[in-house]
Amino acid sequence: MRRLMSGLPVALLWLSLNAFAADELPVAAEEFVYCTVCHGVQLMGNQIIKAPRLSGMEPWYVEKQLHNFKKEIRGLHGDDAFGYEMQPMAAALTDEQIGEVAVFVNATRSRPATPTIGGDAEKGKALYTTCAACHGSNGEGNEALGSPDLRIANDWYLVTQLNNFRSGSRGSHPADINGMQMRASVQLLNDDEAIRDVVSYITTLRNQ
Amino acid sequence: MHRVRNLSWATGTKPPDIKNRPLPFMTEKNLTRRHFLNLVGAAGGTSAIYNTSLALGLMQETGPVATLDLKQAGRQRKKVAVLGAGIAGLTVAYELERAGYDVTIIEASHRIGGRNMTVRHGDIIDEMGHKQVCNFDDDPELYFNCGPARIPGHHRRVMHYCKELNVPLQIKANFSRPAYRHDPDKFDGKPVTVARYVADSRGFLSELLYKAVDQNAFDEPLSPEDVDRIRAYVRGFGALNRDGRYTGSERGGRKSGGFITPAKTFEPLDIESLLDSQFWTGFGAFTSENPDWGEPLMEIKGGNDGIIHAFAREISKPIILNAPVQAIDLKDDSVNVVYNHKGKREQISADFVFNSIPTHFMPGIPNNLPEDYQAGLAALTPGNFFKIGLQMRERFWEKEGIYGGITSTNQPINQIWYPSHGIHSQKGVVLSAYAFFAQCEFFEKMTPAERISFAAECGEKVHPGYTDYIEAGVSVPWGRMNHMMGCGTSWSSGLPWEDGNSQLREQYYSLLQQPAGGRHFMIGDQISYHSSWQEGAFGSAEFALLELDRRVRAESGEARKG
Repeated sequence: MRRLMSGLPVALLWLSLNAFAADELPVAAEEFVYCTVCHGVQLMGNQIIKAPRLSGMEPWYVEKQLHNFKKEIRGLHGDDAFGYEMQPMAAALTDEQIGEVAVFVNATRSRPATPTIGGDAEKGKALYTTCAACHGSNGEGNEALGSPDLRIANDWYLVTQLNNFRSGSRGSHPADINGMQMRASVQLLNDDEAIRDVVSYITTLRNQ
Repeated sequence: MHRVRNLSWATGTKPPDIKNRPLPFMTEKNLTRRHFLNLVGAAGGTSAIYNTSLALGLMQETGPVATLDLKQAGRQRKKVAVLGAGIAGLTVAYELERAGYDVTIIEASHRIGGRNMTVRHGDIIDEMGHKQVCNFDDDPELYFNCGPARIPGHHRRVMHYCKELNVPLQIKANFSRPAYRHDPDKFDGKPVTVARYVADSRGFLSELLYKAVDQNAFDEPLSPEDVDRIRAYVRGFGALNRDGRYTGSERGGRKSGGFITPAKTFEPLDIESLLDSQFWTGFGAFTSENPDWGEPLMEIKGGNDGIIHAFAREISKPIILNAPVQAIDLKDDSVNVVYNHKGKREQISADFVFNSIPTHFMPGIPNNLPEDYQAGLAALTPGNFFKIGLQMRERFWEKEGIYGGITSTNQPINQIWYPSHGIHSQKGVVLSAYAFFAQCEFFEKMTPAERISFAAECGEKVHPGYTDYIEAGVSVPWGRMNHMMGCGTSWSSGLPWEDGNSQLREQYYSLLQQPAGGRHFMIGDQISYHSSWQEGAFGSAEFALLELDRRVRAESGEARKG
């Protein structure tokens, strides 16, 4: 597997729009064009339709979540409207295709997501120490613990998911072991402000 | 020769004094107005003139379509890229090809037409996660209009292109008195004909007014003559008897007889239940009062995609399908569009781009359009519609005296549409659910099979035995359709075509109508006041073409006339 987003070359690639014509960027196979319809070109994300940025996501995490959607472990909670939209997409994939999608997702490249939420990154830094245990001190993730890289996602998406964990619309299914762990951990974030603060700290990790 | 009847005795008003009235162009005021328009035009281009004219009430938007009279491209043969092969994109391509431009259409999906989509036997319905294949019989009369399905005559641009391209139209019944109004909680859950609802509700209302009219219920006391006239009108409106009482009317349909035996009318419905059912909401009593749904409506013979195929026949350059746009690079002297096609990345450099990509996808497509332009695109949210079409083995509704038109129900399916074409043939395709905006999510969460079962259950309550007639069916959730993910554009939280002058309109509408950098035009029903109507798409195309023409002519030192 190719190493994901090593900062510098990606930044260079994005200096000009001509980069979109660059041969290094993967072209979605016919059956995966669906992904780009909502998640955007190179899976850059599209906030208006609430599709998160996925560019360069770790293949093991892509596979795991697609399997969770497919096995109805994720996305069918009544309050998770956008999970509901994703669920049938994953359900339509074969196991083999899920593996192929993961390779495609991992190879995509786009600009780091722009910050969209307010929040006090300083306060968030203190809150993040708990998160760091699993997600790493730089938000880089830890496959062995089932913890994804947090630097990839849009801040608004992280807020949505933290709220989903908090309300139980994600991480309630008994087969979602990591989700249940996350659901327990998120209870340390007391309110919306704490969630915004910690997420705005996470966005600062992107540039390190 | 007939004499013109003087109607002043009937209306109580004097006929206008036409002879001595100054004609508009004779007044000093009007000259000033025109002068003003010229000033605005010099500062803001045709769109400013156009919008200002509309605001001043000087332009009739529903008149005959203006001749575009585009300046021929000549030997330079400027290049145009059209993004999206829906109504707006096809219109632009058709007109510019005729004006001598080199036009390439790039379409993301596997088909042309956009939301103008008619499905027949074997057609693919590319829903995200639930790809369906239309299982209707292989019969050209068995089709379902998943998108636009009714055309009012005042949509002059639709009519113009249908005429110009020889696309045959037929009358489509929208409102039908023998069809039903159904409320599962009222009148024992049995459907009641639209005729009875309309006749009885008007009767009750008229009776009230008849009584109130001479009881000083109005701010100004009415003269005895006024009272008489109002009463005469109200009696006619509500079919009241001579005493101003409503006791039922043949307008509600006859219970029996009327031809060789005496007619018997229905007893009036219970007013309480009538009011409780809120028949005026949704697709209720006032449907035909909406100018866009007012009778008579039309549809294209053989399916509403007839206009799409007519355009495709006229456009000579092959349309590139399965080609999602990857980037738009606006330069000083051209626009570069990157798209994927057959597993490869391709590019096209054009002098002008006409972009009908749904605005809600634009934040997911890298581009260097001006910042405020991008902000406008990112501010608009998609609307949503949902339809189910079922093939019925027998036209059972005709046995109930229904020939076309619509039944409305308080169940989530909202409506049942009976086909206006193919009367007395064996089978027919019935629209069996039509949901709007937030209502759509309810159906989107189901599988296609579940949706059909649900529609069957609801239909059963209106037409007992409904389920047994179902042979095949499709469902089309526009919010889940590939390359669409929505239907129409919301410029406010209200219905897309009723948003008036929302803040978003004020902030972004004129901006998005104008070409970014003079080269990138946003088009489609999304850039109109008639979102989710074909007329809006045609209108946006016409607007952009006129704007282009003005600019092209200005470059060669010419002014566009009109």
